[in-house]
Amino acid sequence: MKFRFDRLKLSCATAIASALLLSAGMANAQSAAQKAVDAAKKMCNGKTITIVWEAGLQSLDPKNFSGPMWEKLTSCKINVVEVPTAEMFTKIMQEFRAGTGAYDALNVIPSWMPDLVQAGALEPLDAMVDKYTYRDELQKIAPTYRDNQMKVNGKIYGFPDDGDVFIMYYRKDIFADPALRKDFKAKYNYELAAPTTWKQFSEIGQFLTDKLKAKGTYGASQFREPGYGNFMFQERFRNEGGKFFDANMKATINGPEGVKVLTDWRNENKFMPPGVEKFGFVENLATFVKGESAMTISWPPYGRFAAGYIKDEAMKWVPESKVAGKVGYALPPGGHPELAAGFALSVASNSKNKELAYLFIQWLNSEEISMQRVQLPYTLRDPFRDSHFTSKEYLAKWPDAKDYLAALQAGSKTGLLDLSLIQTDKYEEALRQGISRLWAGDDPKAILDDVAKSWDDTTKKVGLDKQKAVYSAWAAKGGAYPK
Amino acid sequence: MSLRTALSSSQAHEVQKQFARMLVAPAMLVLLLVAVFPLIYLILVSFQGITMMDNSSDFVGFINYQAILEDTRLWQALWHTMVFLAIALPLELVLGLLMAQLFLDQLPGRQIMVGLLVLPVVISPIVAGAIWSLMFDNRYGPINQVLGWMVGHDMPLLWTIKPELVYPAILVAEVWQWTPFMFLLLLAALANVDKSQLESASIDGAGYWRIFFRIVLPSIWPVMAIALLIRLLDLFRLFDIVWTLTQGGPGTMTETLSIFTYSQGFKQFETSYTAAVALVIVVFLSAILMWALKRVELSR
Repeated sequence: MKFRFDRLKLSCATAIASALLLSAGMANAQSAAQKAVDAAKKMCNGKTITIVWEAGLQSLDPKNFSGPMWEKLTSCKINVVEVPTAEMFTKIMQEFRAGTGAYDALNVIPSWMPDLVQAGALEPLDAMVDKYTYRDELQKIAPTYRDNQMKVNGKIYGFPDDGDVFIMYYRKDIFADPALRKDFKAKYNYELAAPTTWKQFSEIGQFLTDKLKAKGTYGASQFREPGYGNFMFQERFRNEGGKFFDANMKATINGPEGVKVLTDWRNENKFMPPGVEKFGFVENLATFVKGESAMTISWPPYGRFAAGYIKDEAMKWVPESKVAGKVGYALPPGGHPELAAGFALSVASNSKNKELAYLFIQWLNSEEISMQRVQLPYTLRDPFRDSHFTSKEYLAKWPDAKDYLAALQAGSKTGLLDLSLIQTDKYEEALRQGISRLWAGDDPKAILDDVAKSWDDTTKKVGLDKQKAVYSAWAAKGGAYPK
Repeated sequence: MSLRTALSSSQAHEVQKQFARMLVAPAMLVLLLVAVFPLIYLILVSFQGITMMDNSSDFVGFINYQAILEDTRLWQALWHTMVFLAIALPLELVLGLLMAQLFLDQLPGRQIMVGLLVLPVVISPIVAGAIWSLMFDNRYGPINQVLGWMVGHDMPLLWTIKPELVYPAILVAEVWQWTPFMFLLLLAALANVDKSQLESASIDGAGYWRIFFRIVLPSIWPVMAIALLIRLLDLFRLFDIVWTLTQGGPGTMTETLSIFTYSQGFKQFETSYTAAVALVIVVFLSAILMWALKRVELSR
């Protein structure tokens, strides 16, 4: 009898243990997106989450897609505050200092994070990440973004949510033209192909302009407007071997590498379309998709726009692509592209709905939802998870999508981080002004000497030791300088 | 007057004064809230070391004012502002006066023409800057296109980038927008000049310019002075058109005082330093305003 009773107790214990294990397994198997939705449903009670988003196309994501979907799933309302990129940092800081709690969730450019964290404007997310078991899914973000755009001083302050990276787009039909290839090889003694060095870029650009200008096509076009040129300079300067600061935190941007970059830029303008000095995102895009330049470097949306498969109402402003099917993708010369801005999703430390805001950004950033968001034609969100680069649906979007995604993935692996310090914008502002002086005709060395002085003055104001610690931490990251 | 009458009279006067104070009180309160309290707060902040990037609000004495003296970029911004002022103000005055003279007579279609001429002043300065930004566009702007037709080849001038072109571009936009303001005020002033004096002078053999400088100008001077003063203050605060065309560039070549102050406050987040700069500007402009108003008063 005793033996039978013991067997019964053992069976019950086993059954209970199995049930517990099974339910734990089921809970773990539940997606991060679903966990966020289920938790949010219990908390919403008609609350509204206010999220700051880049004005323009980007904000169509929460307005037209993710916001309505979230509201349907959870009954939590989403209020989108659209802010131009140039004003986002200011608005976030002003709101934080005012202490109004007007913003709950934020889009922040990762290079701003040290400033925002130092000011106390961002909520550390580790506790909530663990509470909602999101760490595993965060690990599946492409390493460069995951390891460099998420944490400050070892704590998570944002989820990388936009795989910005500069890619070279070139006219593979032009590069494949037998007559051009023959003439180019005869002149330069190497094959006409996507350039891997800036010397090749100049030679190819000039050659193609000489051959094709009469037909309305220039060898290349680039971002030259100072706001964008800032990123191009950071990329090229480091690919030329330059370092922003020396061991004593003295600015070395005015060294031979910096002077070479500005000098080369000015020389390259000669084979680019007239007025290239004013080219920003839209001007450069229009030039390339209309077939007026054979090479350019830009963010991932150019590839999608040039492919011509997008027929969305919101994209009517994009000129019709005359180069669909003719575009090749490559890493920019030097092989280390700038990651150029990007966005991370964060929670405002002043928010009165921190946990709810967190759940919204976890849901947005989750594998399941982000896969849909990066495929939206109108939002400029670029692939940032490993799964995005191999998505069957994405690969089927247009015939060359495979090469496109491969180039983006390669760029994410070798990409260079934007310079990120305390008061980064002051350093970038000095660089932007320097670039505008270049187009006004000032001497590159004189310009960079002034930029370096401005950088040193800013460093002194911030505090040499303080800034050196931040810079050292940044420079130690894998994506700070080319290996 | 009996003592009782005198007392009643003084009480009534006191009641009247109190009633007047009551009537004025709401306006005074609004003035205090809108003007005086912010000014006092501005003074306080200017003596502190507040930036948006940290929590410090310590008093730092005159450090911010000392920094103003040493800030070469600020003095350059002041210089740029003075250059715009020195060129735009006389231009607007002369053009406004010429236009006013032209439209003084009752010509056919005068009202419609005046209405059209005044349109630029009605547009927001930011919108005016945006319009001129398109006009000056190097690839698609009509100005380069017309110039190209005139010379027979493409003229892709970089109006908002080249040092020799940025000032003319900004001045054209600024003068285009604000000359009508001068025109309107001077038209009204000219319309009120005593015609009998003009006729008498003419009969006595005075020429056009003699009549203009001896009779017309002194008559319209009070209005002209006010118009000049208003435009001077506006030009000192020049921001919108410069911001939309060049953002103070290339480099800081067209950076005005207002753009510098904005940049310090909202891009560099130097809150207390910006307050000090703003206060100095307020004091300076107030002094000019008081001097100018006194001169206008004296000339009457």
